[in-house]
Amino acid sequence: MGALASSTTTAPAHGPGGAHGRTRDAARLLALLFFVLALGFAGTAFALGDVFFLRLATEALIFGGLALSVDLLLGRTGLLPLGQALFFGLGAYVAALTLKHGGGSFWLAMAAATAVSALAGLAGGLIAIRSKGVYFALISFGLAQVVSKVVYNTRELGASDGIIGVPQPTVLPGVGAADPLGFFLVVLVFVAAVYATLAYLGGTPFGRQLDAIRTNEHRVAFLGFDPWRYKLTAFVAAACIAGASGALYPMLRGFVSPELMFFQVSGNAVINVIVGGTGTLIGPLYGSALLTGLKSVVGSYTAHHHIVIGTLFVVVVILMPRGLIGYATPALQRWLDRRGGAR
Amino acid sequence: MSAQALATASRVPAADAVLEVAGLSVRFGSLLAVDNVSFAAQRGRITSVIGPNGAGKSSLFNLISGAIRPSAGRVVFEGRDLTGAPPERMLAAGLARSFQITNLFFDLPVRENLRLAAQFIENGRGLFRGVGASRAALMRVDELIERFALQAQADELAGFLSHGEQRRLEIAVALAARPRLLLLDEPTQGMSHADTQDTEALIRSLAADGLSLLLVEHDVELVMNLSDHVVVMHQGAKLAEGPPLQVRADPAVQAAYFGDAREANHA
Repeated sequence: MGALASSTTTAPAHGPGGAHGRTRDAARLLALLFFVLALGFAGTAFALGDVFFLRLATEALIFGGLALSVDLLLGRTGLLPLGQALFFGLGAYVAALTLKHGGGSFWLAMAAATAVSALAGLAGGLIAIRSKGVYFALISFGLAQVVSKVVYNTRELGASDGIIGVPQPTVLPGVGAADPLGFFLVVLVFVAAVYATLAYLGGTPFGRQLDAIRTNEHRVAFLGFDPWRYKLTAFVAAACIAGASGALYPMLRGFVSPELMFFQVSGNAVINVIVGGTGTLIGPLYGSALLTGLKSVVGSYTAHHHIVIGTLFVVVVILMPRGLIGYATPALQRWLDRRGGAR
Repeated sequence: MSAQALATASRVPAADAVLEVAGLSVRFGSLLAVDNVSFAAQRGRITSVIGPNGAGKSSLFNLISGAIRPSAGRVVFEGRDLTGAPPERMLAAGLARSFQITNLFFDLPVRENLRLAAQFIENGRGLFRGVGASRAALMRVDELIERFALQAQADELAGFLSHGEQRRLEIAVALAARPRLLLLDEPTQGMSHADTQDTEALIRSLAADGLSLLLVEHDVELVMNLSDHVVVMHQGAKLAEGPPLQVRADPAVQAAYFGDAREANHA
């Protein structure tokens, strides 16, 4: 990762304005911690012979992939997508159809879902990227509404029932979607790869250009870069990530339904990002794990788990506007610095 | 300068013009903000546009830099017709601008502001490699930090700088892509006297390096000291142009621009 390390040239170690680089160690530690915890959880669940929580955690990771796509748009590019479930659901449907009628290959399903999402992202981007701020948010919301209603009313796609009986594919010899531990690890590798790619992108001129667009889009054009192209690229990339994440869903649950494209899913993804920490990348994964877990745990006591989740969201936004990881990272860094200084 | 020299200076053939503006107009609703303005800026010279508030100077700048599209007329840069081109194409052609109202990436460090601006000289290379791989851009950043004396502020967020430092960074950012023509929109806006003098020296040194400059300025004394050629605008139209002394002596300019102040002094 020499390229990543060399980004220190623009990242000061100290100084009042060094928000860029001052918290790098802590951010890396928290990212590492997430994947270590995930592996620890998998080992424990496997040892205890658990299936339910492994499946639930796999679902949390899948929605984590969707949250990463939202963070690419919201946290980096400054675009609030309220319809990201469109691409998630599209990927899920394409994968379900491919698995059911196209031979049942995991890789073919992933490739098809990603390709279709890319095309849909390009089409959606050409429409939505023209607008900014709240208008972009509403157009992305509207696009998802239109497509989900079309799917909901299309008999060939199972209408409101969706597609059931999707076969669980084999990923690698001996590892299949039917194997709770194996598929959890597959999804974990997928999410880690998306995370690593986005983290790497943040240290490239392309990724920094997205930061510039978020910070002051107007000036970017006067520096010789067409912001529209960058936003469109980010939008298509986010659609691919959301679509590929969605493709994993029918492999886990064996079905898809139009609800996957509904606002509930889009809204939850945004909440996962904001609770976890917008722009931190690892935060959205923590957010997805936390909120998916909470929903299940609280949901087993009361049907009104939305009240609990909603309250938590409000509390986090008020007390920690940068989200859990946005709050924890500088605190951890201070602790690391103190410890480093003491030595 | 003799009268004859003055006359020829204002009639320099277009051959050495870096920028030619012909019949440029823009209409906002019923307001003709820029009305059929033509002038040329010579290579390696300092050309200034002055005029009272609302004379259309900023709109003229926005037209030349691609921020807005003209209703009529042409913008020709180094012989290429760039009329109506968007800002990124203007910059790619070699024409950069600064802003009257500081227009930086306030949430990003000074160094990163400059790196974003310098990335253009990499010509699209290394877009998906670590920023450290764009060596030419990073060297350009170091160069600019030194030239603009921003060493102490390099790692501060741009939003934390003093007004004078931000104005300096504003020019440095505009220069980062090595333009051949730099448009400076009121570079000394809100500056202290000392900072204004520093900026004047800076502009002179840029011109000495062979950069062509086009200024919009409020500070008439600064303009008269600095400029090789002055364009006076009034109510959207060009009122006069020529070397500073000639423009200052022009009765129409005196009436429209300096006149008011003098009458006030006499009264």
